[in-house]
Amino acid sequence: MSPDVPILEVQNITRRFSGLVAVNNVSFAVRTGEIFGLIGPNGAGKTTLFNVITGLTPPSSGQLRYGQTSLNQLRPHQIARLGVARTFQNLRLFGNLSVLENVAIARHLHIHTGLVQSIVGTRAAKTEERQTALKALEILELVGLASKAEQTARNLAYGDQRRLELARALALQPQLLLLDEPAAGMNPNEKGALSQLIHQIRDRFDLTVILIEHHVPLVMGLCDRIAVLDFGQLIALGKPEAVRHDPAVIAAYLGGE
Amino acid sequence: MGNFLDSYGFLIVSTFWGALLGLSVYLPLMAGQLSLASPGFYALGGYIAAILSTQVLPHSGETYPFGFVLLEMGVAGLVSAVLAVILGIPVLRLRGIYLAIATIAFVEILRVLALNLEITGGAIGIFSIPQPFRSPVGYLWIALPLLVLTMVLLYRLEQSHTGRVFRAIREDELAADTMGIDPTYYKVLSFTLGAILAGMVGAVSAHFFNTWNAKQGTFDNSIIYLAFVLSGGSRTFVGPVVGGMVLTALPEVLRTIANIGGIPLWLGGFLQAMRLIIFGLLIVLGSMFYPQGIVTPELLNRLKLAFRKQPKRIST
Repeated sequence: MSPDVPILEVQNITRRFSGLVAVNNVSFAVRTGEIFGLIGPNGAGKTTLFNVITGLTPPSSGQLRYGQTSLNQLRPHQIARLGVARTFQNLRLFGNLSVLENVAIARHLHIHTGLVQSIVGTRAAKTEERQTALKALEILELVGLASKAEQTARNLAYGDQRRLELARALALQPQLLLLDEPAAGMNPNEKGALSQLIHQIRDRFDLTVILIEHHVPLVMGLCDRIAVLDFGQLIALGKPEAVRHDPAVIAAYLGGE
Repeated sequence: MGNFLDSYGFLIVSTFWGALLGLSVYLPLMAGQLSLASPGFYALGGYIAAILSTQVLPHSGETYPFGFVLLEMGVAGLVSAVLAVILGIPVLRLRGIYLAIATIAFVEILRVLALNLEITGGAIGIFSIPQPFRSPVGYLWIALPLLVLTMVLLYRLEQSHTGRVFRAIREDELAADTMGIDPTYYKVLSFTLGAILAGMVGAVSAHFFNTWNAKQGTFDNSIIYLAFVLSGGSRTFVGPVVGGMVLTALPEVLRTIANIGGIPLWLGGFLQAMRLIIFGLLIVLGSMFYPQGIVTPELLNRLKLAFRKQPKRIST
């Protein structure tokens, strides 16, 4: 696919929660292969927009297209099946399971042996189980968690939990990866390493990445294009330098007028 | 030994049924679904066996053919499965306490139906269900293989990807959904597996108890089976097995202790009269001090390690 073909089109998406308009008539297109930043003050509707794209919250109105497919009526697992994976801002790991199991579960779409086969223990089931473990370890290696594969997920340090969320999303082998504040709670060193990791992942897996982040330097350095939301509305869209000097953005962040 | 089995055969086989019914509650719980529907499927299975053996399947001679019992269990399992899928798809949209309430309603509907239908014998129930064995101990031929087989299958299930998916849904259904897992499918699957087991146990229990009536599937039973799982432990299949066996045997054991000579009269009387209170007290204290149940995966791991170390120490 040429880089100008949009992988995701958000068209006039609105999401209301009773009286509150969390996302208000937002439209943009994400191009295949880019790292697309979504920024804005707290409560701007960024996470709501992620929830709408991944099917957790249906849009009140508007159209979502992923390639040629409409996402509007699809449930989260159906959207995941199309190649869309996400992480959560407020960490939703399977806390009582091991780090390795967390990633192995995310291999779900790539596991084809059924219940009966795995209970009987056919050769195919055993081979696939071994492959799943190997693949999971490979992904954990990539995010630097391979040595902690046997630990229980909820006992991990906060930064490691964030990395595990990322590993779990990668295990789906998505084409579109949505990262909700992947650097939240990390120190500057960790943030730098994460920024490199995201770049590396994009290049290695041919991914398109949409990223919500508060840390402005990280976003500016990492993203090809940035969309800025404020009170549910899209107030700016473009290259990082352009967005940084946009008066509407400065006003939203610093409180203008 | 023969004497022991004659006196305690009924109790021993009952503990096996307890373990299996505990597992039928545990199966949906693996995927985080608190279902109290087991007594409904148990009662249904029992009625299927009772009706088939007294009215449909022809037999002559003193003992009822063993194969027919297995056939009834198969039919009961199949009917339970179909009903579980039909019931599960709408009901499993409910979460937590609402699912529990809906399954209680299901149990009640079946109970009222059984009380009022002609085919189930109304309030009297169905009597003289034919016996495949000469004594209650004979039922071990079904109970033991059924329990062992169920435990082996559950062990394999817990190791399999499906078992992992169940646990993922139990931990965080929404997150599992975004990993490409269809939660409804797996919730209905776990619910159905539990229903099949309860239905099969019901079928053989109808023979075991010789009579079957609407008292077999009540809300009380829902709570008792749930207590099997909660006291035994709900995070490994060993928990419900231990809980089901111990709690089934406990009232009888207390009665036996009360009858031992030398025990002060007041204590004996207390144990005899108050055994149900003691039973309830143990459940309350158990859930206060062992909220995870007696058997946890951590405990099993420690036991496994201890057993592995033992032979080494002897050899060196």
